Amino acid sequence: MKNFHVAIIGGGVIGSAIAWELSKYKLNVVVFEKGIDVAFGTSKANSGVVHSGINSPTGSLKARFCVEGNKMLQPLADKLGFPLKWVGKYVIAKNEDETKELERLIKVGKDNGVPGLEIKDRKDVKVKEPNVSCYKALWVPTAGIISPYEFTIAFAENAAENNVNFLLETEVIDLRKVENYFLIKTNKGEFQSQILVNAAGLNCRKIVSMLEEPDFDIYPCRGEYLVLDKNYSNLVNSMIYPVPPKKLGVLGVHITPTVEGPTILGPSAEFIGDPKDKRTTKEKMTTLFNEAKEIIPSLPEKAVINAYSGIRCKLASPEEGGWADFRIEESKQTPGLINLLGIESPGLTGAPAIAKEVTRMISNSIELKTKTDFKTRKIKEKRFSEMNAKEQSDLIKKDKQWGRIICRCEHVTEAEVIKALSNPIGAQTLSSVKYRCRAGMGRCQGGFCTQHIVRIMEEQFNVDVNNMKLKSSNSNLFYGRTREKEND
Amino acid sequence: MTNKKEITCIVCPIGCKILVRTDGTHFELLDGNKCKKGIDYARNEALDPRRMLTSSVLVKNGEWPLVSVKSSQPVPKDKVFSVLKEIKRTMVNAPVKSGQTIIKNVSSTKIDIVATKSIKK
Amino acid sequence: MVEQGRKKMINLDTDVAVIGAGPAGLAAAISARENGAKNVIILDRNSWLGGILPQCIHDGFGVEETGTSMTGPEYAEMYIKTAEKQGITFLNETMVLQFDKNRKIIAANKKGLHEIKAKSIVLAMGCREKTRWNVMIPGDRPSGIYTAGVAQAFINLYNIMVGKNVVILGSGDVGLIMARRLKFEGANVLGVVEILPYASGLPRNVVQCLDDYDIPLYLNHTVTYIKGRERLESVTIAQVDEKMNIIPETEKEIKCDTLLLSLGLIPENELSRNVEIEIDDVTGGPAVNQSFETSLSGVFACGNCLQVYDTVDVLAMDAKKAGKNAVQNTINKSKCVTVKAGKGIRYVVPQRINEPGKIHFTLRVEKPHESPTLRVIAGDKELLKKKLPWANPANMVEFDVNISAETIKSTDTLEVLLDD
Repeated sequence: MKNFHVAIIGGGVIGSAIAWELSKYKLNVVVFEKGIDVAFGTSKANSGVVHSGINSPTGSLKARFCVEGNKMLQPLADKLGFPLKWVGKYVIAKNEDETKELERLIKVGKDNGVPGLEIKDRKDVKVKEPNVSCYKALWVPTAGIISPYEFTIAFAENAAENNVNFLLETEVIDLRKVENYFLIKTNKGEFQSQILVNAAGLNCRKIVSMLEEPDFDIYPCRGEYLVLDKNYSNLVNSMIYPVPPKKLGVLGVHITPTVEGPTILGPSAEFIGDPKDKRTTKEKMTTLFNEAKEIIPSLPEKAVINAYSGIRCKLASPEEGGWADFRIEESKQTPGLINLLGIESPGLTGAPAIAKEVTRMISNSIELKTKTDFKTRKIKEKRFSEMNAKEQSDLIKKDKQWGRIICRCEHVTEAEVIKALSNPIGAQTLSSVKYRCRAGMGRCQGGFCTQHIVRIMEEQFNVDVNNMKLKSSNSNLFYGRTREKEND
Repeated sequence: MTNKKEITCIVCPIGCKILVRTDGTHFELLDGNKCKKGIDYARNEALDPRRMLTSSVLVKNGEWPLVSVKSSQPVPKDKVFSVLKEIKRTMVNAPVKSGQTIIKNVSSTKIDIVATKSIKK
Repeated sequence: MVEQGRKKMINLDTDVAVIGAGPAGLAAAISARENGAKNVIILDRNSWLGGILPQCIHDGFGVEETGTSMTGPEYAEMYIKTAEKQGITFLNETMVLQFDKNRKIIAANKKGLHEIKAKSIVLAMGCREKTRWNVMIPGDRPSGIYTAGVAQAFINLYNIMVGKNVVILGSGDVGLIMARRLKFEGANVLGVVEILPYASGLPRNVVQCLDDYDIPLYLNHTVTYIKGRERLESVTIAQVDEKMNIIPETEKEIKCDTLLLSLGLIPENELSRNVEIEIDDVTGGPAVNQSFETSLSGVFACGNCLQVYDTVDVLAMDAKKAGKNAVQNTINKSKCVTVKAGKGIRYVVPQRINEPGKIHFTLRVEKPHESPTLRVIAGDKELLKKKLPWANPANMVEFDVNISAETIKSTDTLEVLLDD
């Protein structure tokens, strides 16, 4: 197919949520994703936090979409089967001075319609969080944690099951508006579409500039994280966020439990020149660790099992204060181009609400006829590791592939690995397996499972070893064979 | 003309650096060893250095694609790469039994290459 | 409901259950059989037996034990044949999910979920490798970074080459062996980087894996940055001082496509921690008594999950003792003497003594010493004084001491220490 009603550029959480929303209607939709899987960029490299809305100025789009999206998440989790936990958040004040900030936040929160906010005493906090010391804290019950990649994958896979075309490793290289449609040139061929949705994240400005002179700049801001061994995950029960510090160089490190188990520290915030520079630095890793140790003195260095960074797409420079609202709008200059610019935090939380808004915008140009045969996502079976003995036993008897455990650290079975490799998006890299079934995310970081996953890819999916990738088109895992096989 | 050479002894973890004079045929200990074992080692290293070789051979129709192999005796050091080259060119059909000779008289060394693992069909 | 569930599980009863069919598990299982156990079951998560041995195709195994230098697979096959002859039951491709304080094991394989009631359990789970993040190396996150053991498995078992231009971080034996292996298989080994001022592997391996092939050894160096957006492009190495701090302006970028990490091993004790077995934080393994019994009665530990051994020979010897004691498992309520790692000693195994006799100790020292004196003191009595020609952390020290019943009765602590 080459002609579409809607072409979405970017298969991150925003693009995938929009694709899912649109897949409910009788439309031809395509998603161009230049990575080798969805959630390739910032969508998988963030804190996985569902925000309540207390951090966004009243009246802003950020506040609106955050609060709306927050309310939509539980029903979506029930329908699409991604993990979500309402662990709540404590914003910690170390002294009376910092308590003023808590009072400011509670006011903004109430104005934004955030329920359940309460300022708690140090004693009350200590009862719930024995490892945390504070003066006072703001308790935010509608803050939660989500797996940002499973969230994105759930939207994308269900959209694909409902006939949205996901074109991976497909990069948009040129755009032209011709009368009332767009000519889209990619590295994999040319396409046409009536509506163009620019959900290209850090590349959003690049996309705009193919059609018009952008009236904005983007300021990439990198955040680094440390991931802690699950054995240290009972250090905190809720998210622990200190009041943003005034001292220079101090990050005010957040301690965030994740929905799959390990606790993460971070993020840092560093404005950088190159939006592709996802390096982790010794400086930030050390700072994160040391600041976390101030809050949790018993934290050992061997608790760190991974480190990563994600890049925020900011629309305001540090000199301008680094804060700008979302821009979600149809271009006045180029009708039919719907731009999603500067979607940083709370973009993850706001995604379902943003998707509804974009769909509404599209309905102004195209009549949306609801499908009658929309396929709901086959609710993901629980992970083997989450089942009780009877469930595990029954399942193995039904399908013996559930009896072979491939990932020792996370107890992921062969059946789950095979399911991950059979995804409807068509992604078959080591990372796409990791993000769908968790194999490789434990403390041994693939030490045991990698060889077994590779063998399954080779024997059951006929992937040539020379084409096996880690996470992107050129991240090959191997360089041929120890002994080349003769041609028979 | 005989050359001075430093040989690191490997008999124990101290790893004495033993200084010898040798032309490949004659051997003279100069200095460096802390015990007698070192002298014998250094002499062998200077006059007839050999290495046990281990590698892999491609297997056809086996449950594993490679069978690990070893040289039946230490191979002269200067023959190591020609032996490895011959091993790389070799293929064997499953089943393979550990101890089975895979290559007889590899690279004219009179040494064999034997399987160190059993591979079923 | 629960009853139905239990019926569907595969129920087994055994005298001894051994978790892990590597060299430790095999030795322990055979020893258990030889010492009277009627049923012995070994569970292993892989489809093959021998644990890490089948991929260790180099020789050097079993020299002390058998007088000949075997390769890993040969050594494994020797044990496996004996175990098969003795009617030991093997459950392959079987993962132990957990066991409880009553030694009831839950394990999964393609036949189903198993519930195994064991009179004794021998833990032989081995260890895992330290990863890049355990030492927080900054930079990009490209493909092409492998721990040495994983690279070894790909090259030797699966017929897959991991890369062409290789840098190896860590000069332990695994790293050195892999340097040679890669060289043999046509890779360009650009160097081995070691943070200490000396190689941590055996001199034999330094000579036969590096010197023989002119592979550079960068001592007092470490990797400070990893570059490569997709596949590895280069690593930066820099010199460190005695305190392991980076010396500025000594950075050197080495273009490569593969980085092998040989940073050390971590005993695998998830199952032990799960049931709250006391773990020695320094060894990373369970604290055991002279019978290799852990703090949980009837549960014994041996092999690399107890402490990281240097040679398979010493490991097998201790594992055999563990297997034997697992059979002769009598609840010993005698008073325990704590063994303390004193001056200069990083750790000692066993950590407790509650039975008199000739006790075999293994320990590691904190830093290199020339001609140190090893001493064992119980209260004011010196039980052992032994001069060692040398000692360094990379070489496990073993020695025997006779501990009398009198000593156990009258002392609380046995101290092992090193004098210069």
